[in-house]
Amino acid sequence: MGRVLLVLRLVAADVRRHPAQAAMLLVSITTATAMLSLGVALHGATEKLYQNTREATAGPDVVAYSPDTRRTTITALQSLRQAPGVLAHSGPYRQYYTTLTAHGATGAAVVQVADPAPGPVDRPLLTSGGWVRPGGVVVERGFATALDVRVGDHVTVAGRPLPVTGIAVTAARAVYPWAPGIGPHGGPSDGGGLVWAAERDTRALRSPDVPVTSFINLKLRDPGTARAFTTRDPAIAPAFEHTWVNVRAWQDVARQDSVMLRDSQPILVIGSWLIAFLAIGGLATLAVGRATAQTRRVGLLKAVGATPGLIAAVLLAEYVTLALLADALGLVAARLIEPAIVNPSASLLTTATGPAGGTVAVTTVVALAVAGLTTLGPTVRALRTETVAALADGARQPRHRAHLTRISALLPTSLLLGTRLIARRPGRAFLHACTTAATMTTVTGLIVIHAQTATGYPGSPMANDLRDAQQHHVILAVTAAMIVLAAVNTLTAAWTTAEEARRTMAVARALGATPGQVTAGLSAAQVLPTLPGALAGVPLGLLVCLLFSGPDTTWPPAWSLLAAALTVLPVTAALTAIPARIAARRPVAPTLSAEAP
Amino acid sequence: MQDALLAMLAKEPSHGYGLRMRLRRALGPLGESMNAGQVYVTLARLEKAGLVVGERADGFPDRPDRKVYALTPAGQQRVAAWLAEVNWPKPNLAEFHLKLAAAAAARLADPVELVDAQRRELLRRLGEVQRAVLAEPDGSTAGLLLEGVALRLQADLRWLEACERLWSRTGNEGA
Amino acid sequence: MNESGGVLRVRGLCKEHGEGQGLVRAVDEVDLDVPAAQTLAVMGPSGCGKSTLLHLMGGLERPTRGEVRLDGRRIDTLSERALARLRRRSVGFVFQAFHLVEELSAAENVELPALLAGCSPRAARRRAAALLERFGLADRARHLPWQLSGGQRQRVAIARAIANEPLVLLADEPTGNLGTGATLDVLRLFSELRAAGQTLVIVTHDERVASTADRLISMRDGTFVDDTRLAGSNTGRLGGMIGLGD
Repeated sequence: MGRVLLVLRLVAADVRRHPAQAAMLLVSITTATAMLSLGVALHGATEKLYQNTREATAGPDVVAYSPDTRRTTITALQSLRQAPGVLAHSGPYRQYYTTLTAHGATGAAVVQVADPAPGPVDRPLLTSGGWVRPGGVVVERGFATALDVRVGDHVTVAGRPLPVTGIAVTAARAVYPWAPGIGPHGGPSDGGGLVWAAERDTRALRSPDVPVTSFINLKLRDPGTARAFTTRDPAIAPAFEHTWVNVRAWQDVARQDSVMLRDSQPILVIGSWLIAFLAIGGLATLAVGRATAQTRRVGLLKAVGATPGLIAAVLLAEYVTLALLADALGLVAARLIEPAIVNPSASLLTTATGPAGGTVAVTTVVALAVAGLTTLGPTVRALRTETVAALADGARQPRHRAHLTRISALLPTSLLLGTRLIARRPGRAFLHACTTAATMTTVTGLIVIHAQTATGYPGSPMANDLRDAQQHHVILAVTAAMIVLAAVNTLTAAWTTAEEARRTMAVARALGATPGQVTAGLSAAQVLPTLPGALAGVPLGLLVCLLFSGPDTTWPPAWSLLAAALTVLPVTAALTAIPARIAARRPVAPTLSAEAP
Repeated sequence: MQDALLAMLAKEPSHGYGLRMRLRRALGPLGESMNAGQVYVTLARLEKAGLVVGERADGFPDRPDRKVYALTPAGQQRVAAWLAEVNWPKPNLAEFHLKLAAAAAARLADPVELVDAQRRELLRRLGEVQRAVLAEPDGSTAGLLLEGVALRLQADLRWLEACERLWSRTGNEGA
Repeated sequence: MNESGGVLRVRGLCKEHGEGQGLVRAVDEVDLDVPAAQTLAVMGPSGCGKSTLLHLMGGLERPTRGEVRLDGRRIDTLSERALARLRRRSVGFVFQAFHLVEELSAAENVELPALLAGCSPRAARRRAAALLERFGLADRARHLPWQLSGGQRQRVAIARAIANEPLVLLADEPTGNLGTGATLDVLRLFSELRAAGQTLVIVTHDERVASTADRLISMRDGTFVDDTRLAGSNTGRLGGMIGLGD
């Protein structure tokens, strides 16, 4: 018990002494787990939401569409009520292809003629307001969200302004903007939103200029066989000898729904890899930066008689605790972000279930692995160091990099200091370059995605916006997360370098380097490796985009990519200038008076 | 001095000049101020005491410094006794210590000032010795002696520092 | 040169740390003139303010009050940048912990001040080689600091400190980390520099180091308590010290 208390006390003391490092660790792992959890959650996320919606709205197993309202067509559709395997039905109903105007914006829409009370199959779930009444319409939720329409607002249908009495979701249709099912005259659909209206209010639409489609919703005994329910079935075929019909199974709707996320998923998955890499990179820098102090601490613990096991517990407990905390934070964050990413159109019901056990397991393992991998090395090294050596001096023997040093002699003072700092820690410079490359890869992806021209839903600008926005939001979020992490990493690296080089920089100051030169030198040590990193990131980003892009991809102009890569330099310089300046402003006398060499 | 000369003769008989040279070599700069006659006076005394015998060397009958000295058995005994002796020169601190105490008690002088004066004197001496040390090449025997003198002076200076601390405290308390 | 003829001139110098109850006067109203070519030793127990005084004189720290003039020029009012330039050209520092840059070879360490001062790499290298040769370290030029003994390291540090021929060399416990032999090496070097006319201020707690100076100042609690001239006291009384005179 006392031992546990001791470990806890040492961990708490260390976190209190280095709050910035603990925060950095937390930010890195939180971002990585959140992104990973989102990437994992995206798998089959939409299917799950569709299932929920289907159950909540008595979704049909099959919908049969015929592109007119003739007597024979209606009869043919009605004959399906008696088809083998059919348990229940509602309809036939009509839908008109028209437009809807709300708040001055006009979008393509299908207006479904609704009964005063919905039939047994497809009972749309009202998420707000009440059902259709004469003189009042219900707008499908995804459409309503795109139009920013609420209950009580007025929308113009068929030239008549009507109040919105309710907002509802349905599983009979694919998510906005794929509500129409089939297009006018049985042709391809241009997309659009769904509106339910009373028969009386749709009369104005009865005109030869307005295409109309009849359809019927069916419930089957075995929903699994829905795909086999076609006009090729001899039991159904005769009724449709003279009528064109399009039968859609619920599985088709579900698949159509997931199209919305198809482009986002690779962004999230690759993004989470890159972010995990960044997190590891940042933590490795942090761990190495702390190694010296850690080694001395271990020496002290050994000197007072702590066993290796206890010391390992002290060293690892801190990282493990922080990693688990970050894991929890990441999962919560993912939980909050998830609905926005997996259900962009709001057409499906979101569930309030927590992350799946599998997701939790994966993120926890990753969080612990990240913390473990980055700290295990320094910990083992610290444990192996002789007690006396550890107490005397944690530093290792430096290596001489004569070549870099020789070159740097030709440079102005600040660059001279900078290159000599890089020569001190070439591994860190390389890591920093990799971090920059990873970030630049994502930024390139962002630029490429933004360069794409919107592909088409004529008449549904808000639908185009929505889909593009989905992709844009995701890449933007990933890029933002990357940039935040990269910034944190850069700050860590700059601060660690400044801490390690404290004595050297103090000596440089005593020899007559100005604080400005020292600041610039510390900055240069970070900025110089950034350039090759940023330049390498651009082709890497293009390569990744190439893997996921079709032949009609629009490539952004080279100058924009180059400009983005070069922007990294001033940004890094500005970021590193903060810790560098703080370090350079520190009085040097105490550092130089210290007795230990 | 007497014992040192006797010990030098233990190896082989030597004349006064040779003894003087050997003495100077061992003492280095410390021996520079040594009076030339001192060796001969000491040898004469030793001869009178029967510890050495002097024989005039051939070829230079007129010159007294060519007299070759050798140990007598009594001299040899004295050398053995000297070598076996574990005597060590006593640093005479008591005198200065009593001086300070008396000065403070009778208010004859400020003990701190006495200490300071002494300190300055010792520092000057130490400086001189230290410079002599620096002038000696590495591994010289004379350097070793200088080192010893310097270390003693350093010890004395540290003791004076302690004296100063104490006496300035009692001075302050008295006032 | 200037009215007092001193390379270093300090008037009413004060350095305070902390505030209120915790106020500590590390240096308390100190006046000092160091003439050219003088070797001055400052002695005192640890915490008496001697290192702070040295830092103030070299512009590594700024005084709370008072002034410091180097070669007639006031330095306590200079900007950080101007102070840095001044240190480059006019001040050389030697520290107890040597403070060599661990990743740079002995020669590269000695080159550093010249490079900082804007010398060409070739000139800097030549100067460093000459200094190391003079200090008997020519065969150690390519060694890294950890491959050198303490005495060698401090000699490299002294070579670095005088690389730009400073007006004044400030040494803070230069022999504090050294054994007897290495201490002698450093002292020999100092006496060589002194013979060459280098102005030298040595802060030390070692009486033997201090005694070789021309002048010795004792410090207690931030003030000077004694100022002794030691130079020219070669009285030929060395023999007396071992009782040869008797």
